[in-house]
Amino acid sequence: MHDPSRRLPGERLFSLLLVALSLFLFYEATKISGFEGLSAPGSFPMFATGSMVITAVIVALQTVRLPESDEHGWRAILPGFVIFMAVMMIFYALALKPVGFLPTSFVFLLISTKVMMRSSLAKAALISALSLALVYVVFRLIFSVLMPEGIVPEREIIAGMRSILSGGGQ
Amino acid sequence: MDFAHFFMSWIDLQLLSLVAIGTFAGIYVGAIPGLSVTMAVSILISFTFSWEMYDALSLMIGIYMGGVYGGSRTAILLNIPGAPSAIATAMDGYPLAQKGLAGEAIGLSTTMSAVGGFVGIAVLGFAAPAVSEFALTFQPRDYLLLAVLGILLVGSLSGESLVKGIFAGALGLTIGCVGLDPLTAQERFTFGQIELWGGISFIAVMIGLFGVSEALQQLQHVDSEAVKQVIRRIVPQWSSVVKYLPISMQSSLIGVIIGALPGTGGDIAALMSYDYAKRVTKNPEVPFGQGAKEGLIAPEAANNAAVGGAFVPMLTLGIPGDAVTAIIIGAMFIHGLNPGPMLMIERPEMFWFILGALVLATIFMLIFGLTGIRLFVKIVELPRAVLFPLILLLSIVGAFAVNNSIIDVYFMLGFGVLGYFMKMYGYQIGPVILGVILSRLIDDNWRRAIISDQESLPRLFHGIFTSPLSAVLMIAVILIFVSNTPLWSWGKRKLFPAQP
Repeated sequence: MHDPSRRLPGERLFSLLLVALSLFLFYEATKISGFEGLSAPGSFPMFATGSMVITAVIVALQTVRLPESDEHGWRAILPGFVIFMAVMMIFYALALKPVGFLPTSFVFLLISTKVMMRSSLAKAALISALSLALVYVVFRLIFSVLMPEGIVPEREIIAGMRSILSGGGQ
Repeated sequence: MDFAHFFMSWIDLQLLSLVAIGTFAGIYVGAIPGLSVTMAVSILISFTFSWEMYDALSLMIGIYMGGVYGGSRTAILLNIPGAPSAIATAMDGYPLAQKGLAGEAIGLSTTMSAVGGFVGIAVLGFAAPAVSEFALTFQPRDYLLLAVLGILLVGSLSGESLVKGIFAGALGLTIGCVGLDPLTAQERFTFGQIELWGGISFIAVMIGLFGVSEALQQLQHVDSEAVKQVIRRIVPQWSSVVKYLPISMQSSLIGVIIGALPGTGGDIAALMSYDYAKRVTKNPEVPFGQGAKEGLIAPEAANNAAVGGAFVPMLTLGIPGDAVTAIIIGAMFIHGLNPGPMLMIERPEMFWFILGALVLATIFMLIFGLTGIRLFVKIVELPRAVLFPLILLLSIVGAFAVNNSIIDVYFMLGFGVLGYFMKMYGYQIGPVILGVILSRLIDDNWRRAIISDQESLPRLFHGIFTSPLSAVLMIAVILIFVSNTPLWSWGKRKLFPAQP
């Protein structure tokens, strides 16, 4: 829970980054249609980004004045697991389309479960396979959500299984 | 004929099952600390994107109703509110569990949540048509002020600072502006990228802010151990239900009114009704905070009543009552519906369908709430190290599934990281999503209002202060602003000096 009377590590930097982002967006808003009229396409974006600038500056000024919290270092706000999972998600997103949903998801679940549960590889693999099977049945087969196939010929496998279940493809 | 849609979800087996599944899932989602109804509904939207509207709504309504109730169970059993709306429940629910009365506490909270749910729906049924008819007389400036009021209320009530709340709301409004201007097709914040002409996917923003950021936050507590409780009988005694019915009804009414205010939800309703119960209960069997049943019942009745209340501004004005209804509005937009006063005229059957599904979800909530406690205990004990990677995986797949676009996934990840730091440093997430949803409405009504007043701000303000409704809304906006400034505390000190 955030304590408003103390400044957490990185809070000052974050508030300054928000000021910079707000100023940049305000500048971009002024380029839409300039100050040509109150009903122009740029007037509302200027109002919204202008509000961002004013409030971000107030927050930054308040934050800079706050005494520092007892917690020190980036670890306090970015524990190892959070960084690890954020990096894993980036790799997952990059691999999802070329490699496909099933292998990417299995590897993602396997590594994250193994690291976070500190369990054996076999146990992590079993949990990941079961979780993935559940997700696949619910979302792919019941909800009919299209997932990237990638390297797994998923449609052929499903068609083959259906053919076997319906009596050897008669 | 339209009223017949009230029973549509009751007689159609598929819709009935979806409401039941949604309510069941909602109870568990709401109960598992770290999983929120907002997170579940935002991820779910992406998967129900291609569904029929009725199917998607049935599932979402079930999850919403079940989730608001589900948070109470872990509040009672573990002193960890599963949802913000169950914070007040833990104050007396957990002491009851410590005395070995967990089963009775769960039974009473379930029954009274159902009472609250029914009261909220009844008020929605009676009030919405009247509000909707009244809303037809609204001017564009009234919609503009209502939407601004909604964002300000969420900003001021749900977080530590109004300034941070306004920043979050303005950020949401800016995100909502990205793309081609709907009137002139002029590019706004597109940076020359054709992919941004259609705007940033609302679903990607939602999943990032509510799904990913919450899951990342929960990873900080990945090593925490699950606490176990012994539970016996949970069906409450009839005499207890009758005894506490009056306080439950009063709290429900508070809940529905708070829920109906644009931008406020079950959490505020629960805290206010807890405070009310504390003041009106003269001689509780045990003091409040030590296991008073009134302290358990009041917030539970109120937070479920707030669900019906939150649907009033959503269906009649197109302004969400809380974050979940903001997401449901988004789902309705995706399915081609336009919530607002015209919805009641053009698609009255939708209103009756929603009402019927809410009643059904409340009945399922009662049934599932009073049964299956052993399964519940097992699911709540699921290790976070298994649960959160799965949620992150679903978030990525969900963001991808809407447009089969990897760009949406990158946006989702970006908003997830932004949301993580915003929460860490005390910024509210609710106003961002409300801002995204209301951006178009505010933009449209601002331009209509200013054009009708010949581009003159003095004329606009003259119009506001000479119309009773606009004046009331404007005063409310000003009051929220002023009450969050040092000027307000100074004025209070001057007018009501502290007694020595």
